Amino acid sequence: MIKLKNISKYYQSNSLILNNINLTINKGEFVYLVGPSGAGKSTILNLLLKIEEPTSGELFIDGVSLLRLKDSKIPYLRRNIGVIFQDFKLLPKRTVFENIAFALRFYNYSRSRIRRQVYQVLDLVGLTTKLDCYPTELSGGEQQRICIARAIVNNPQILLADEPTGSLDPETSWEIMTLLSKINMRDTTVIVATHNRGIVDDIRKRVISINKGAIARDEEQGSYNS
Amino acid sequence: MNSLFFYISEAVIGMKRSIVMMLISVITITISLFIFGVFLLISLNLNNIANSINSNLEIKVFLKETVTKTERSKFKQAILKLDHVKKVNYTSKNIAWKKFVKEYPHLNLDNLFENSPLPNSFTIGLDNNQYILNVVSNLKTFKSWVEKVSYGGIIAERMQKFSYYIKILGLILVIILTIATLFIVVNTIRLTIINRQNEINIMQLVGATNNFIKGPFIIEGILIGILGSLGAVIFLKIAYTFLIIKCNKILPYIPIVQNKLEINIILVSVILLGIILGILGALLSLSKALKRYSFNKVK
Repeated sequence: MIKLKNISKYYQSNSLILNNINLTINKGEFVYLVGPSGAGKSTILNLLLKIEEPTSGELFIDGVSLLRLKDSKIPYLRRNIGVIFQDFKLLPKRTVFENIAFALRFYNYSRSRIRRQVYQVLDLVGLTTKLDCYPTELSGGEQQRICIARAIVNNPQILLADEPTGSLDPETSWEIMTLLSKINMRDTTVIVATHNRGIVDDIRKRVISINKGAIARDEEQGSYNS
Repeated sequence: MNSLFFYISEAVIGMKRSIVMMLISVITITISLFIFGVFLLISLNLNNIANSINSNLEIKVFLKETVTKTERSKFKQAILKLDHVKKVNYTSKNIAWKKFVKEYPHLNLDNLFENSPLPNSFTIGLDNNQYILNVVSNLKTFKSWVEKVSYGGIIAERMQKFSYYIKILGLILVIILTIATLFIVVNTIRLTIINRQNEINIMQLVGATNNFIKGPFIIEGILIGILGSLGAVIFLKIAYTFLIIKCNKILPYIPIVQNKLEINIILVSVILLGIILGILGALLSLSKALKRYSFNKVK
């Protein structure tokens, strides 16, 4: 499904971000990317979204080489990948419904179909009552759930989460991670870049530990520390 | 159809959010296009005047009061012998006056004079207007009979030259104004883009194509262009109507163009230029914005 082959990434200042990463993630897997800040976790996510390009190496999703993907095809790649952020990135001047429907706009769906899909996804994250609220009226955990709803509303095969619990309290973090597990059970590949030791140790999944741009450890049912 | 509706509603939201810049853009376009339209109308009228002079280019020889009937027919024969003279028509002073009164009915000249104040005259047509100056100088040699020789050639020529310079001046002004206007439109739309940087980023991340992202901004440009040019058209209409009324009073012998078709062509071209300005402004501000944001970091 996702394959990184000898991926390296330098910046112009010669600082090494990723050093010869080899990694395969299968369809339907749940993977934690762990490691200290600046280890290169976010860079891997950026490479998968083709926001950044690797300096060398090859990168495939479903057998398609991202390096050979034309710029004009990037949108179609991204429609298959949902993204969740630490700071949610919801649009403050739009309602919950509008925020989620945002991701469906360019499909030329009918209004009723958009309504139905938004409602279904809100049902999944448990926030159907907040349809007409503005993000500022919601708690952090609720905002993150809306962000998740937006990420999965068009049923992507891959879900990327960059520090999804970074600004949430432990209890809410737990709820969010449970939600991500639930989404994973629908056969969506989930990749979570996180610092959250408690979560990683409690919900045991595959753990890939990145340190100084290299894979330090890759363990099924792993913990935060080896 | 769905996305067109979306583009328009997004464009309206964008314009509302940066309403001051939007108004400045609209006003700038109105002013620029108004000046553009004024130059077009002036040059249309100058050309019209030149054409009307050219089309009845003929020589008028006004005769002295003292010229007798026999002298008159002698003179006529002499004129007909000149090179390039095709025809000579005699107009008596009374007929000339009747014609004049009829041509300018709004001046109420009917009972102003008992006798015609105009002189007797010959109207001379040429087979080729090119030789008009030769014929004129020949006519001037009949000093004892000729009061004055007049022909429209020089005026027509000057009018055409003047109209040409006005066109060039107008063109230069329009180019400068267009650039200035474009600059302001670009900045207005860029302001909306900055306002919506987050939205653009998120749209890109959820898989919106660049064309889809551009849509609302291009519609915004078009709306600004239409609003601005409509303003210009309204002012042009008012100013031109006012001019026609004034001109008929003060300079009644100047033929102002009142042909609806020609004027409407100018007004439509003003609106088209406004729309083109809007689209161009949007595309210019977007070409930078999308490049800048597409590889923005997620975090």
